[in-house]
Amino acid sequence: MSVRYGFVIDLDRCTGCGACMVACAAENNVPPASPRATPRTGLTPMLVRTVSNGMEGAARREAFIPIACMHCGNETPCVAVCPQQAVEVDKATGIVVQMPQRCLGCRYCMTACPYHARYFNWWDPAWPAGMEKSLNPGVAVRMRGVVEKCNMCPARLHSAQEKAAAAGRKEIDPADYIPACAEACPTGAIRFGNLADKNDPVFSAAHSPDTFRFLARLGTEPKVYYQSQQAWVKALAERDSDPPTEAQHG
Amino acid sequence: MKVSRRELLIGGAGALAGLVLTPVPWKLLDDVSIWTQNFPWIPQPAHGPVETKYSACTLCEGGCGIRVRMAAKCPVGVAGVSGHPLTKGALCPLAFAAHQLNWHPRRLREVRHAGRAASWAEAQAALAKACGEGPIAIVDGRPGRAVSSVFEAFTQKHGGSYQVVLSAESQALTPYADWSGVPVTSLGYDLENARTIVSFGAPVLDGWGTPGRFTRLWSERAAGAADPQLRLIQIEPSLSRTAARAWRWIPVREGSEAELAAGVGRVLLEEHMVTLQGPMPRLPLAEAAARTGLSTEAIRGLAQIMVQNRPAVVIAADGNPEIAALNVLLGAVAASGGIVRKKEDIPSQIAATPAPGSLRAALVDSTVPWEFDAQTDAEVFRFAAWDGGGDSQGWLLPAPGFLEELTDVPTPPTSARETYAVALNLAAPPTEVQSAAQFLLKVDPTLPALEKVIHGRCEEIFHARKGAVYGEHPVAVTKIDTAQHLEEQLRKGAVWMGDPLSPGKFRCELKEWPMEKGVAHATSWGAAWVPPVFPALATKLYQESNLRELPAGRQA
Repeated sequence: MSVRYGFVIDLDRCTGCGACMVACAAENNVPPASPRATPRTGLTPMLVRTVSNGMEGAARREAFIPIACMHCGNETPCVAVCPQQAVEVDKATGIVVQMPQRCLGCRYCMTACPYHARYFNWWDPAWPAGMEKSLNPGVAVRMRGVVEKCNMCPARLHSAQEKAAAAGRKEIDPADYIPACAEACPTGAIRFGNLADKNDPVFSAAHSPDTFRFLARLGTEPKVYYQSQQAWVKALAERDSDPPTEAQHG
Repeated sequence: MKVSRRELLIGGAGALAGLVLTPVPWKLLDDVSIWTQNFPWIPQPAHGPVETKYSACTLCEGGCGIRVRMAAKCPVGVAGVSGHPLTKGALCPLAFAAHQLNWHPRRLREVRHAGRAASWAEAQAALAKACGEGPIAIVDGRPGRAVSSVFEAFTQKHGGSYQVVLSAESQALTPYADWSGVPVTSLGYDLENARTIVSFGAPVLDGWGTPGRFTRLWSERAAGAADPQLRLIQIEPSLSRTAARAWRWIPVREGSEAELAAGVGRVLLEEHMVTLQGPMPRLPLAEAAARTGLSTEAIRGLAQIMVQNRPAVVIAADGNPEIAALNVLLGAVAASGGIVRKKEDIPSQIAATPAPGSLRAALVDSTVPWEFDAQTDAEVFRFAAWDGGGDSQGWLLPAPGFLEELTDVPTPPTSARETYAVALNLAAPPTEVQSAAQFLLKVDPTLPALEKVIHGRCEEIFHARKGAVYGEHPVAVTKIDTAQHLEEQLRKGAVWMGDPLSPGKFRCELKEWPMEKGVAHATSWGAAWVPPVFPALATKLYQESNLRELPAGRQA
């Protein structure tokens, strides 16, 4: 496998603005929330969580953690449990691909995912009247009753592949394929690239001493790496299955 | 014919095997799967020729460069422009879904008067009648645009006043304008050359000024480093988004920021940390410490950091002169890395005073914050693209939405260098809407057309032969053949940026330490920019996650 796409996210640069969340939703035709949706039942393939060091007053510190599908490279839990083969690891790119057409909505994959990075379409996708004209024509809208997650913006990958094919190239130009979240990040905290290419900046970033992966002890080899110089942030990486503490923004 | 049990079983097994081996059931399953993905009530994206256009964002006055993806002549995606000299590709979160705002359920699509449907002809007749009966005011939320010239021309011709609602960022610069006589629109922050930035509650990492300008700068020079090149100190009662990422967060008691400024000022003067001599704040250091909840040592430490890591600049969240006075003491006014003058010329009249009570009518542009209250008994003609809620007794006139009108984008308030861009009407507006300029032109056809004003400004830039145009590649204005060529570049989404100026020769003198808690024109006309409605996808930020809270009185 010569290509293994992945992210390196510098948590010390993330300001929690949420641009990645909105850009991801706009790119992938994720509908706005149903009036009944909550943080638990919403659709946020890219979700920025707020975490704190648990202190109060001047000693309190907060950090923002963008969480999407980790694209596990080993014993991928969602792939193992899906009865429909609706999830598979693309051998050419390393992307864990969710195919909503095959999904029957059993949600085994949501239970199996240690990162809570999968979302169920509880409601029919709906936009205010006329707003469907503003949808991305390269992405099909998912219906109620299927699971979805980050697929690393497949429409952008296909577009880059088409461009390469038209130019007679087998491999895409890395500049042509950047997922919406990485492109939108105003501080450059989210970096995207080929983790298998030693010349790619994300390769060296993924191997730097400050880099870690969440729940690395599970051995699922996630392809999303995080960086931070703050010890309390790093300590969250091996925390048990509970998601990081949500902190209401003050 | 008699069927034996054996034949029945063989026939059944054969049918079963045949069913499994034929593609029919699988094809049916596949078809059903596809059919269920295409229920008629599942929205389908529009298809058509896909193209990319470049423009400038007009959501706020930040003037960020945007790349708009169009399908079937309709915007389907917004992204930043990496070659933009100010924002370098960064945008605020709302911009990424701004193309969906035009279909917001609260989009205004009809003229209303006193809450009832009316017509443009009635509104036009009412304004024409008002013009004949007395003075009118036109209130502008973003001065310096081509349409601002149309507003000024109308008020000059028909007798009235051109009023400006200053943004929070501009309000923070008003003390320096008051003290120096330099117009507030000519001042800016030279953040690129600062080593220390002390923010008194300004959300510098969360949409302040031109969103993206400072976040990029912070990312390049400060993020994550224990001893950064650029030290951001955030003074704020709560741990805000900016405070969470600042090099130092100094929590003070709610509303005591001005007292802290006075305490720091006293330390700077008493301990001779600065060479400039200024008026001593009346508040003793111990009293400042008691009011802010900090120790005297903490205040002294803050003063030392500001002095040791110069250039240091103080940014206030509003126009509080006590906080602004610190920049005077630090020598950060008219200095590199501080408050600079970005224009040498004096702009046309900027009257930031409330409209007088004798007005016959007030026309409020769509760029003015929804909460703006004209504070007048005059008949109000309010332009807006979206209904922000509440009752309106005056005229509510539907204005073009995002990317629906041709306009220009002058220099953002906090910028240290002049910029100019043109935002094109990439999307077709509903037939019912009109901009304020179009409306005024119908009332008075002798007013200058917007296109002509924009053309005139492009000619001015061309003839000044300064700066560069940042399009696909930066090109110096001196290398552009004609004004028309320059205008063509700007209409394709390029942005002009002036040459870096010296900080400017102007002085701010403090005769006594300011004590007032604000400036009059900042409180009566100003409000921090909050859009009247939020893009539908903003639900990701406040409803489907706990990342943000929806501002009071707003709907997505």
